[in-house]
Amino acid sequence: MNNYSPRLSRLIEALRKLPGVGPKSAQRMAFHLLDRDRAAAEKLAAALGDALGGIGRCKTCRMFCEDEACRYCTPARRAGGQLCVVETPADLMALEAGTSYRGRYFVLMGRLSPLDGIGPAELGLSVLQEVLLEGDVQEMIVATNPTVEGEATAYYLAEMAKAAKVKVSRIAHGVPMGGELEYVDGGTLTHALSGRTPA
Amino acid sequence: MSRARIQLQPAWVLKASAYSDTSLLVEAFTPSHGRIGLVARGARTAKSRPRALLQAFRPLLLSWTEAGDLGTLTGVEASPAAAFEFRGETVFSGWYLNELLLRLLQRHDAHPVLFEAYGEALAALIPTGERALRRFEMTLLAELGFGIDLPPDLDPSLHYFHRNGEEPVPGAADAEDSYSGRTLIALRDDQLETVEDLRAARRLLRGALAEHLGTKGLSTATMLRDLRRSLERVPTPGSGS
Repeated sequence: MNNYSPRLSRLIEALRKLPGVGPKSAQRMAFHLLDRDRAAAEKLAAALGDALGGIGRCKTCRMFCEDEACRYCTPARRAGGQLCVVETPADLMALEAGTSYRGRYFVLMGRLSPLDGIGPAELGLSVLQEVLLEGDVQEMIVATNPTVEGEATAYYLAEMAKAAKVKVSRIAHGVPMGGELEYVDGGTLTHALSGRTPA
Repeated sequence: MSRARIQLQPAWVLKASAYSDTSLLVEAFTPSHGRIGLVARGARTAKSRPRALLQAFRPLLLSWTEAGDLGTLTGVEASPAAAFEFRGETVFSGWYLNELLLRLLQRHDAHPVLFEAYGEALAALIPTGERALRRFEMTLLAELGFGIDLPPDLDPSLHYFHRNGEEPVPGAADAEDSYSGRTLIALRDDQLETVEDLRAARRLLRGALAEHLGTKGLSTATMLRDLRRSLERVPTPGSGS
């Protein structure tokens, strides 16, 4: 099979753990780091070690955070009284980058899916419940994806918010910006029509 | 090896999970090919059109090429019938049906009768709830060759012992595995109406299915219980927890 020396094969195996990296690209990356750019390799090793040691999860919003005070749980964000629930850190980043929303977040790290063994414990719903009961949150915005699992999750989040007497809203779904009705699937069009807003 | 091409077969997605970096592994249920595993290449990329369609409880027409255990998805079209949109706990009933099929069907075993029963069960979930589940379980067991034998001459005033694979025999009312004749007749004729009959039928079918499910329970049922419990635990604000 391969004729790598032990250290080299360990490096290549480690690089293959990255998404989208197969054996060939892993070999190319390893040779590049070892041969052409050892300084970059050192930087990468230090950054990785530093990140692993210094980045944890925020206890209240479950987003990655570096310091004790999470940048998405600041007093200024709390003051707005809005809490947006998303499935993944990437969803949070998309909302931060693409919208003017500057309230708090809660990251589920998944969605309800019994067939994959993802339930209330995996999603940290008890943490969310505590946040809702603290009384700071006036409105919970449910921004889970419009899939079967995402909708089921949204239903349970709404039940939790109602039990905690917190107002709850769901993000709209419908025709994308710049889209054409002709090419939108029937399910999306149905939602777009039933969720229409006064113009 | 020759690769069979299958065009626009009616199908339901039972489960779709991440597969390698950008693909989906779709477990689908079809009438003529039974339960199949299909790889949808590139379905998790931003521009993927099929991804929105590859959802559970949505009638689809799938095309794929067959090679070995896993096929490759080559086309997805929405069937003209509308997708079922289950709200709240009903979606768990739908997932329960999917889990039964995933656990109990072998891949590539054709089950046209069961396919029809699945579509009917989904359609009946909202109007008839649990009754639809019991009816589907009866069909599923029969299709697997473990049908529950309920003879036509049951007496509604008697109680019967039921053991898997055997005909019910009259017995005492308070014994374990004992069911009233009324329940068994209602189950046989798909006439389950009362809460007691539904509960007894669930007990009977759970026992019958457990024999084939092995030691691992069904996660849909466990998770629904967990969720109900976690919602009940919510203290009202200001009540001091």
